[in-house]
Amino acid sequence: MKNKSVLITGLGVISAAGNTLSDTLENFRRGSSRSGPVTLFETTLPYPVFEVGIIPAPFLTESQRTLRLALCAVAEALHDAGLEDDLSGYRAGIAMGTTVACQLNDLDFYKSCRDTGAAPMDPVDLYVKGNIAEFISRRYKTSGPSLTVVNACSSGADAIGAALSWLKNGICDIALAGGADELNRVPLCGFGSLGIVSHEVCRPFDRDRKGLNLGEGAGVLVLETENSAEKRGRAPGLCLTGYGSASDSYHLTAPRPDGAGLEASILRALADSDIQSDEISFVNAHGTATPDNDVVEGNVLGRLFGSGLNMLSTKGYTGHTLGAAGGVEAVFSAAALREGWIPSSAGFRNRDERIPLMPVREITNITGDYALSTSLAFGGNNAALVIGRRQRA
Amino acid sequence: MNILGTGIVFTRGQGMDSFERALLEGWRGPGTVASPPSIHKERRAYLVEQGALSDRAMLKKMRRADKLSKMAVIAASEALGNSTVKDMNRKKTGIIAATALGAHVTTFDFLDDILEYGEASVSPTTFSNSVHNAAASYISSVLGIEGPTLTITDFFFSFHNALQLAQLWLREKRCDYVLAGVAEQYGSVQAYVHDTKLTAAPDGRIRPFNFNPSFQVPGEGSVFFLLSHNDADKALCAVHDVLVDNGGGDVLRRDLDVIDADGLLADESPYLKTLSEDVPVASYTPLFGSIMSGSAFTCAAGVRMLEKQMIYASPVKENPHRLNIAGETRSCLIELIRCIRYNCYGKKAVVYLRKK
Repeated sequence: MKNKSVLITGLGVISAAGNTLSDTLENFRRGSSRSGPVTLFETTLPYPVFEVGIIPAPFLTESQRTLRLALCAVAEALHDAGLEDDLSGYRAGIAMGTTVACQLNDLDFYKSCRDTGAAPMDPVDLYVKGNIAEFISRRYKTSGPSLTVVNACSSGADAIGAALSWLKNGICDIALAGGADELNRVPLCGFGSLGIVSHEVCRPFDRDRKGLNLGEGAGVLVLETENSAEKRGRAPGLCLTGYGSASDSYHLTAPRPDGAGLEASILRALADSDIQSDEISFVNAHGTATPDNDVVEGNVLGRLFGSGLNMLSTKGYTGHTLGAAGGVEAVFSAAALREGWIPSSAGFRNRDERIPLMPVREITNITGDYALSTSLAFGGNNAALVIGRRQRA
Repeated sequence: MNILGTGIVFTRGQGMDSFERALLEGWRGPGTVASPPSIHKERRAYLVEQGALSDRAMLKKMRRADKLSKMAVIAASEALGNSTVKDMNRKKTGIIAATALGAHVTTFDFLDDILEYGEASVSPTTFSNSVHNAAASYISSVLGIEGPTLTITDFFFSFHNALQLAQLWLREKRCDYVLAGVAEQYGSVQAYVHDTKLTAAPDGRIRPFNFNPSFQVPGEGSVFFLLSHNDADKALCAVHDVLVDNGGGDVLRRDLDVIDADGLLADESPYLKTLSEDVPVASYTPLFGSIMSGSAFTCAAGVRMLEKQMIYASPVKENPHRLNIAGETRSCLIELIRCIRYNCYGKKAVVYLRKK
């Protein structure tokens, strides 16, 4: 009996690839990629980024951009799940990953505080009220656990993993889980200083890749126990079957060259799902397009799944959305499994001889029952999620 | 879930023996903090002396780390050293680091870089240390831990959420052991926010039983616990339950209530509602300062009390509400301790600690 007790009853996503899941899938079909210069704040840095175009008006009530993005994805996921805006009648939990929303990094506030010893408190109030999980919990009146995961670039995947544990252990019946992050000056400068941001549009797994592009967005899954979904009359076709996480125990910014941490996290997610590696129909890789990440990740995936694996990175459509990435890519993986196809891996042209497999270069039909989504983080954490089809279409 | 080891770094030293000495010796005034030139004000806080972070062999592996990460690594290492567990499988050991404010001091250092040198000339070292999960990453690399490594931030309930998740990881056998704890660093911006929004204790004394008005003195430090379902014979005590925002909930029969009242809520009266005349109440916040994730420090005191079967006197005993305060240090049989924290939305989190 495969482990299919935690169901995915709703999906919501916003990124440069689209404001909704259907927009996104349409863009994936067209293979269009929307990068450009930074417009959200003034900067001297010339890197292309992937900004969300226009956030829909109903979500502009919040001042924090990350919260706007999160609310947009949550609303779509709840609608997809057939749930209302008031979750007080359910035992519902919130697990969200982020990087930017957990920091008080308002430059004007800090400069004023530093130079004059005083500053208006508005940015502090926004920060204190803006803990992302706590905020969503208050907004939707949930009574279950709320957890904000700040595990750098694996935050979204780790948040989904935490929610899986809650549901399997009866802590709650429904969980909104994923990640959200806005494009922000601090990581743009920081990643730039590390020399891993490309001046061109990113090219994951390509021989000539020159680094990542930053993006922004939010991706949220509604996860639910079988009992809860059944009571609500929902019979979704997707489930979250496994989560694995392991640390490189190696370096603050560089991935461990042998990829042992990533491999351990994938094996744990497969074991959690009670499946073998040959049951994975495709992998939505982290694929940031940095030289180091893609070599390490490509070699681990080649080792575990063989060179014929259907693999892609969606960073060529969204940029690297940091704490949102795990959530956004989990939504993409689930949708691809439901739709039966994956898009071409945008930006890839030439094979890198150091990587034993290539991402897909065209829309590719998939027939299997399981998808894997991987996340590698600053600090050396690795996370893997396995999403399954409950029944064949 | 058993607690097999506890490690602490706080204003009066590192290690549980230092903490016990502080519990026995009682209250001491906070130190004076050098403020930036723009701030014409003397501030007081319970800070960890840089010299106290003295494990050179360990710190050699993290020379570029900030103070927050150094405190966290030392506390986590102390938790391992405080336990008698041998041959721990480090691939099956996880880390959950909880923090309310994270590396905010290093984040502001990074903003200094942007302001002083421009966006293109910032320090990559400062940036990488400003990322919230840097401390957990250092714990993993310095101590050779290869299991799941997670950082979470939930302000007042950060520690409680870490404990809850650790319980699940152990129950699911995702890990055999989990190092769960907190780390917080004092900074001048935080102090400014405290000054603006809260009331600083005029004489440096947190009055945990005053409730309204409340008085705060910022603190910093780190506490980690080694948790497991294994090695019950080596346990210092057990985490009987962790309840976050459970409304009324069932209140268990216990021997002591320990409250985290520390002046970080302008009105701490909700604590009054939850206390009972029959159960003595203590608070040790005046020893380590006002820290959003300070519940971990309170739990460290609880662990030592269960281990030694001793209740330590509350260091500040002002008692305007005539509570049944644990006023003297005394030996006694203790089976269960309830540790209580309220947040700014009036929600409550509770950790029950049980004798092994």
